Order: sequence, then structure tokens, then C-alpha cells
Amino acid sequence: MIATAASNRRWKRIFLIAGAILAAYALLAPLTSLDAAQSANIPLLADKFWLRIATSIAMFVVMATAWNIIGGITGYAAFGNVAFFGIGAYTTGMLVAKAKWPFLLALPLAPVVAAAFAILVGLPLLRLRGHYFAVASLGVGVAVGELVQNIDYRGQPVFGGASGLFLPIFRIANRDLFFFYLMSAAAVLSIAVTWWVLRSRFGYGLIAIRENEEAASVLGVNTTAYKVASFGLAAALTGLAGGIFSQWNVFVNQDNVFPIEYNVQMILMALLGGTGTVFGPAAGAVLLYLLIQFLGGTLPISFDIPFVSTDARPIVAQIILGLLLIVVVIFVPRGVIDFFGGRTRLSLSYLRRSLRETSL
Amino acid sequence: MANFVQLVILGLLAGGVYVAVGVGFGLVWGVLNIVNLAHGALVIIGGYITWQLVTALHLDPFLTLPVDAVALFVLGYALQRGVINRIIRAPLLFTFLLTFGLNLVLVNVLLLIFGSDFRSVTPAYAGKGLEFGSIVIPYVALISLAAAILLSAALAFILNRTRIGLAINAIAADRDAAQLVGIDLRHAYAVTYGLGAACAGVAGGLIALIQAITPTAGEPYTLQAFVVVILGGLGRVSATVVGGLAFGLVEAFGQSIPGSGSVFANAIAFGLMVLVLVTRPQGLMGRLR
Amino acid sequence: MSGRKLALLAVAALAAFACGTTSAGPTTGSTIVLGAPLGLTGSLTKESNLTLQGYNLWLDWINAQGGIVVKGVKHPVALKYYDDTSSANQSAVLMQKLITEDKANFLLGPYGSAATATDAAIAEQNQIPMVEANGAAQAIFNQGYKYTFGVLSPANKYLQGVIDMAATLSPKPTTVSILSADDNFSLEVANAINDYAPGKGINVVLFKKYKNGATNLSAEVQAAKAANADIVLNSGHLTEAIAINKAAKEQKLNAKIFAYSVGPSTPDFISALGADANFVYDGSQWTPQVKYTPAFYLSESDYVAAYKAKYPGLGDPDYHVAESTAACLALQRAIENAGSLDATKVRDALAALDVTVFFGQIKFDTRGINTYKPMVVEQIQNGVHHTVFPASVADAKPMYPTPNWDQR
Repeated sequence: MIATAASNRRWKRIFLIAGAILAAYALLAPLTSLDAAQSANIPLLADKFWLRIATSIAMFVVMATAWNIIGGITGYAAFGNVAFFGIGAYTTGMLVAKAKWPFLLALPLAPVVAAAFAILVGLPLLRLRGHYFAVASLGVGVAVGELVQNIDYRGQPVFGGASGLFLPIFRIANRDLFFFYLMSAAAVLSIAVTWWVLRSRFGYGLIAIRENEEAASVLGVNTTAYKVASFGLAAALTGLAGGIFSQWNVFVNQDNVFPIEYNVQMILMALLGGTGTVFGPAAGAVLLYLLIQFLGGTLPISFDIPFVSTDARPIVAQIILGLLLIVVVIFVPRGVIDFFGGRTRLSLSYLRRSLRETSL
Repeated sequence: MANFVQLVILGLLAGGVYVAVGVGFGLVWGVLNIVNLAHGALVIIGGYITWQLVTALHLDPFLTLPVDAVALFVLGYALQRGVINRIIRAPLLFTFLLTFGLNLVLVNVLLLIFGSDFRSVTPAYAGKGLEFGSIVIPYVALISLAAAILLSAALAFILNRTRIGLAINAIAADRDAAQLVGIDLRHAYAVTYGLGAACAGVAGGLIALIQAITPTAGEPYTLQAFVVVILGGLGRVSATVVGGLAFGLVEAFGQSIPGSGSVFANAIAFGLMVLVLVTRPQGLMGRLR
Repeated sequence: MSGRKLALLAVAALAAFACGTTSAGPTTGSTIVLGAPLGLTGSLTKESNLTLQGYNLWLDWINAQGGIVVKGVKHPVALKYYDDTSSANQSAVLMQKLITEDKANFLLGPYGSAATATDAAIAEQNQIPMVEANGAAQAIFNQGYKYTFGVLSPANKYLQGVIDMAATLSPKPTTVSILSADDNFSLEVANAINDYAPGKGINVVLFKKYKNGATNLSAEVQAAKAANADIVLNSGHLTEAIAINKAAKEQKLNAKIFAYSVGPSTPDFISALGADANFVYDGSQWTPQVKYTPAFYLSESDYVAAYKAKYPGLGDPDYHVAESTAACLALQRAIENAGSLDATKVRDALAALDVTVFFGQIKFDTRGINTYKPMVVEQIQNGVHHTVFPASVADAKPMYPTPNWDQR
């Protein structure tokens, strides 16, 4: 079936409405009284477990959307952005745990410090292109994690060292709900920033850099300033997520806030959803996170893998995840947002076309 | 003074393993433009093959290296031809993510087959070495270094003196032109990846001799491969050899910083890599691409 | 009514009454759900599997008896666990799932200090007791958490026994080199020795930290060789212990005592090193040779037999298995003492607990960790583990001093 403009618009409208309903449900449902929700036994988001899942999803939405700014829009695939998450987490963590600042006062400093670091490191780093930039940013990401954990001053670890930082448990009613809204606010902020960027002169400049940096420079775009600003913006948003995480999780150490696999996950989410778009990374974050949880057996809907013993089940689940990743990367290179945006329809011919475009 | 000499020797010997880990990674990256995040998994598969052969047939571990090479070559060829070729023309990121998924699959298949127990290979002559006064050159490390150099020489030979090697070089220089002159890209790409995997397999065999392996033990080596290749420079096997030995020395001296200095060994290595990238991207010896 | 009929009626009534109350013994109550997140894939698979084995051994035993008895009612026990892929953040998600979705009554700890710290915070926020056996770092217990209890001896005690033992040997060692991985747990162990040894007349001549998980430790061994101490201590994990031992042989590092905090107690250590594993000491939470008089559950020899029956071909249970079982035993006894499944009552019962089982004495200090159980020192002699210190539980004397590599 050939997709006509009219049917495209129809699909687009359907997905838009579905998305709006989902978002409204997600954001308003927790407001229903927690006790009533629990006793009614409906899996509303008021359930603490779903709140944790939803908060984690929101966290990844922030990270994926933030990455999209430097990776998708500007075309500089940074591979070490988890460093900013960790820096944000440690900034807020240190202020709250060691300097005894109140959390809400310490939080705004997380994006500031992360952005400052990004600008400092970005100036030399952003002179590199393609692979070299990716690898260099990976190197920075790894090195930062190591340094933060291990720096001593006169024999005592500066940043809490290997024992990590313990923040006091945040005293507020409906704590899980509070952090869900806080993280969701950060997610909405990231999406709003992306939306603004894509419609601004700044955004046009970034896209120009992505398409052809030399031409952009010739046309008068201050590529260095734009690139560094983009990197700083991505870092700030990622750092904000880290700052919120530190108080939400109460415990901060290298394993928690500098996990190398987050680098890949946030990129994968952006790619899955569609780089360079406003809602793509968010869609990708939701999908991939739920997929990972589903395969791990965390979600209430479980499935049985035939012929597999209980011991082997978690291992096989990981294998399935890996295979799914491979399949998706091969067949959906432009991201699922294509479908939700109504630009294309999921059909066999689409899959065959993508395959032909990218394979040898 | 003797301590210094011993450190240099230890660093060079450790460098042997890094050379083996790096040459395969660098080949795939330099020619195919693929950053292979599954490299560590391929290395560990080699380690398991060596372990299995040594335990079952009581072979000398160094004799199992050719088996590692052949087995991993076949696996690598199949992977490239069957899977990776499908996204080769997509932007850089896709290969990152595909190889990430591949890594997940390979590591967990190993976990399924071999379980999480730690395995190690200890030949009878382990622990012994050449002795010059207080300076020791352990046999196992020495033969490993020799094996790694031999591997690099063999790889260089294949790349520079065989037909398929010249085809690979042509592709690296200009893919479309190579296709125009009739080179079968799919086959050549698969051979390249296969060679890279073969090198990884040999590296794995060497690693099984020096540490206890478990399915996830390959992850650090992927990261180290990055550093080795950048330090030496993309483009030539000899460059990666230099990079590997240099990395071994950096690690040895970094780890001998008194007190807690050695915990920064990783940070130093990666910091050095970033420094090289920013100041001299072609590495110590490579050609700028 | 005739007298006979009256008597018959009375007997019938009596019989009916008697039948009505012949429910001798406890009735069956609701199932107690215990929850545990475990790293069944990822880097902590091996140790997490040992933890699961320990939990399952107890589970089989308790359910064979019908369950935990609370005020005369038997409650069967169910264990719910999920794979956290060795990620502390995923462990947190699973904890919340266990509490909210699976309605776990109580929690058993994961493996690893990072996951335990994260999970302890969640247990605290949800006010559900968590008994753990595999996170020995003290930082967790210094936070004032009321709902987390650790049945294992804290990290700082791991190698103290080695120093105590060394003080009793002759010729007495006078110097020690300390090598330590830079993770939380290892540093606690090492720092404790750094503070403790001088008080026993043993000087610390080298204290060197290295990156956790490092596989090439030749530079560290070289430094230890230059320091030439009587005792070489390593505080790290299995892979590092193996690497250091191999390098020690290659580089001819000799010492009178080689002691590693973790590693030598697992069978993998001996199978990886063969004869080179001999003479190595380690500090262990428990060995199959220690003899305690258990207040309930199996004796240590029955425990070893039960382990071998359920998991044949793996050798003796190592202490990770035993301490995990001990966590379950602590919880069981606390529930029985509390006479209730109420979280707060059980928490209080845990805080007041004082019981000896095959694993040793289980009693928690005010912070929640078991400072009352001593660590023991093991030595590998001719490929077999033997307990060598303290003398009250030892089954062999230490083979001291360790001969030089050339002379073995």
C-alpha cells in the first residue's frame, strides 16, 4: 500500500493523540491518592514500583534528549556523556552530604558544574572529528570516573572515595512521587530545550555544522562557539539528571553514577527513537527501557522462554536483548519516530529499503 | 637501577599482550571504519578455546594459539558477512551499537556454556624464567611477547604481500575505487574482520596464561585496545606494535608510583590517549587519515 | 432413656468432641515472601550464584519442616529473586518491585557493597528489614540505618586474624607489605591492618593501592619484592589474588607469610594455581572445620553434607554460601522471637538477637553489623584447606615459614 499524504497525516494524528493521552496519564495519575490506588489494586503509576520505573525512564529521557543535542543535531557523536551525569551527581552529592546544603539549593549547581566542565574539556576536544572525537570523549568519560573516585588529599578521599557518598534521606511526604515529578520536569525541560534549539538560529547553525562544517564556517557560523555551547548544553541537562539522581538514590559512588553502559544506552535510545528530532530520543528511551525491563522479567507481564531452565533464563534474556538490538540497528536505522511521525509506515518494503541503504 | 630495568622488562613483556589485543582492533578500525565493541568478547572466546584444549588434550598452551586464530577467523568472517556487512554504509554510530549488541550476545553465550567460574591455564614452566642477578624474565611472558610479535609480523605479511592483503589496502585507501577495479567488497571486508578476530583469538590465548578468565573478563581489553591503537596510530601494524609496547611501559611505570599512584593507571592511560588525540592524532607512528 | 443408651450417647458425644479437636500440631498460615535482587548475569555472577545457593539450602530445609513457626502457626517460605545484571541501579528497581509488587515481607541482601548500600537505603525508606550477608563495608552501617543487618564480620576484621596468628609464631615476623585494591571493601580491610599491625610489633613497610580488577600486578609485586617484608598481605578479590600469586612466583617474591583477604577460600583459586596455591593463608568468615554448637539448624558437618548433596561436584561450600544461609537463619530466629510478621517487631527482634549457629555467633551491634563473630584464618596445605587460627577451632597447625619458590 502506498502511503498517501492524507493517510500519513491520519497516522500522525493518531500517534499524537495517543502520545498526549499517555503523557497526561503518566503525569496526572500519581495525583490520585496513593492509598486508594493501592487498595484498588490497579497498576496505576501511584504504585511505588511504577514510580521508580517511570522516574528511571524520565532520567533516561533527559540523558538521551541531552545527548541528541550534541550527537544528533550537531553531529558530534560524544561517547562519554555519562561523565556529566556523574559530575552532576557528585556535585549535588558533595554539597548535600559534606557541606550540608539543602538539596533544592544544591541541585541547580549540578548542571552549572557539569556545563563548566564540558566547556573546559570541549574546547580542545571538539577540534577532533568523527571517530577521534567519539573515542576522545570516551576516554574523558572513563578518566573522570576514575579520578573522582580516587583523588585523595592528605590521605583522605576528597569525593568520598570508594565508600561513596551517603546523602541523608530526603524528608518529604510522598517522596517517590516528588522525585518522579522532579525528574519528569527535567525531562520536559530537556524536550522543551530541544524544541527551542531546533527552531532557533542556534539550532540552524548546529545543523549546518552537522551537514558540512566547512561550509558553515565559511557562511559565518562561529563553529567553535556553537559546538562548545551545544556540548555545554547537553552536559548541563545530563548533569541535572545526575543531581536529581544523587538525592533520589541516596548513595553515590563510581559504579552508580559513572556506569559505562549508560553511554551506550543513551545513544541507543536516541538512535532508536530518531536522532535530530524533538521527541525521538524520548520515545526511544521509553521503548528501550521498558524492553530491557521486560526481558529481565521485571515487569508484571512475564513470558516463558521454552526449553530454558530457571538458572539459564536471565542469561538467555540478555542474549535476546542483544539480538534484538542487532536486529533493530540493522532494520530501523532512522529510528521509530519515523513511524510515529507518520512519515513512513512499518512495512516489509520499508525494512527491505533500510537494509539496502546501509548494507554492502 | 636493577628495579628500573626490571620495570622496563615487565612493561615490555606486558606490552606483548596489548600488542596482540591492539592489532586486530586497529585493523578493523583502520580499514573498515568499525569500532568493534565486541573485541573483548572475541578475545575471551580465544581464551576459552585455549583453556578447553589445554584441559582436555593437555597441549602446551602456546600450541593452541593457531587453533584460536583459525577458529576466530571463521567466526569473524561469518559475523562480518552475515551481520555487520548489513550496516556498513550507515553512519559510524550504528557499528558502535551493533557491536555492542553483539558483545552482549557473545558474552552471555559464553556464560551459558562455561558458567561464571574462573578458569586459568598454568603450564609447567610457569613461574620460571631467565635470571640475570636480581632481574627476572619470566618464560611465559617472554614467549607471549614473541608470539605477539610473530602475530603482528604475520598480519603485516598478509596485508602487504598477499593478494587479499593488497585488496584490503586498496579498500582502505578508496572504497569505491576498489570496487570499480573489481574487488569483491563483501569478501574482502569479511576477511578483514576475520583477521581482526583471529588476532583477538590469539590475544585471548595469551591472556588465559596470565589471568583467570570468566565471560566478562574481556571488557577491559576493549577499552585498552582503544588506547593502544590511538597511542600507536591507525594505519600500520608496526604502529600498533609500538602503541602496545608503549602502553605496557606506561602501565608498569604508572603502577609503580608509590602509595596510591597506581590507582590512577587507567586515568593516566586514558588521559594520555586524549592528549595524543588532541595534540598528535596520528599517534606516535601512524599516518593521518 | 435407658442407662445404656445414655452411656452410648455420652460416648458418641465424647468421641465427636474429641474428633473435632484432633488438629494436633500447628496449622498452616500465609506464605512468607522473602525478596532478593542478585547479579545472575554480569560481573558478579559467580559470587551471586554462591549467595543464591546459600539461600536455597535454607529454603529447602525450612519448607521441609512446613515453614517458620509464628505463634503456633507454620508459615511456608517463598523466595523471590531477580537478576540485577550486577548493576546497583537495577538492584534498586528490583528492590522496589519486591517490596511493592511481590509484597515481600522481608528482604535478603544482594552481593556486593555498591548494591547493598543502594538497597539498604530503599529498605530504610520502606521500613522493611533487610538481612544481608555479602556487603561487609562498614560505611553502610555508619549511616544510622535501622532496617539493615549484616550477619558477617565487618571488613576491618578480615586479616586481623593473620596478624594475631603471626604474633604467635616463631621466628616472629616483624614487617608487613600491604597491597590493596582500591574498592571500598578492600581498602577497609587494608586500612585496618595498617592501624592494627604496629600495635602487635609488626611494622608496615609498604602500603600500595592498585586499581580494582587489575590483571597485571607485576609492578606491585616488584615493589613488594623491593620492600622485602616477612608478611605479604593482599586485600582484593579472586582475580587479583591469583595474579599476585602468579607474579610472586615469576618475579621471585618470597615471604614467610602470604595472606590474601579473598580468593584462596574458593576452589577456583586452587584449580587455577595448582601447587602454587600451597602455603597461602586467607581470612575467612567461616570454614568447614570450625566447630560451634548450633542452637538450631544443622551442625557444620551436616551443612557440608547437605551442600554436597544438593550441589554435587563443587567441593565444600565456601563461606559465601554459609554466610548467606546464616542471614536466613537470623531472619528465621528473629521472626520466631517476635512471634509476628510485623516489620517493626521483627526489626526489633533482629536488633536484640543473640544466637549461635553453625556459622558462629550472630549478634548485631548498635549499627547493625555482627561484630561478635570472629574471623578465622585458613591455610592451603597440600591442595586442601585447613583452619589454622584461632587454636580453639583450628584443625591443623600453620605450615610456617613459607619456603622460597626455588625450594618448593
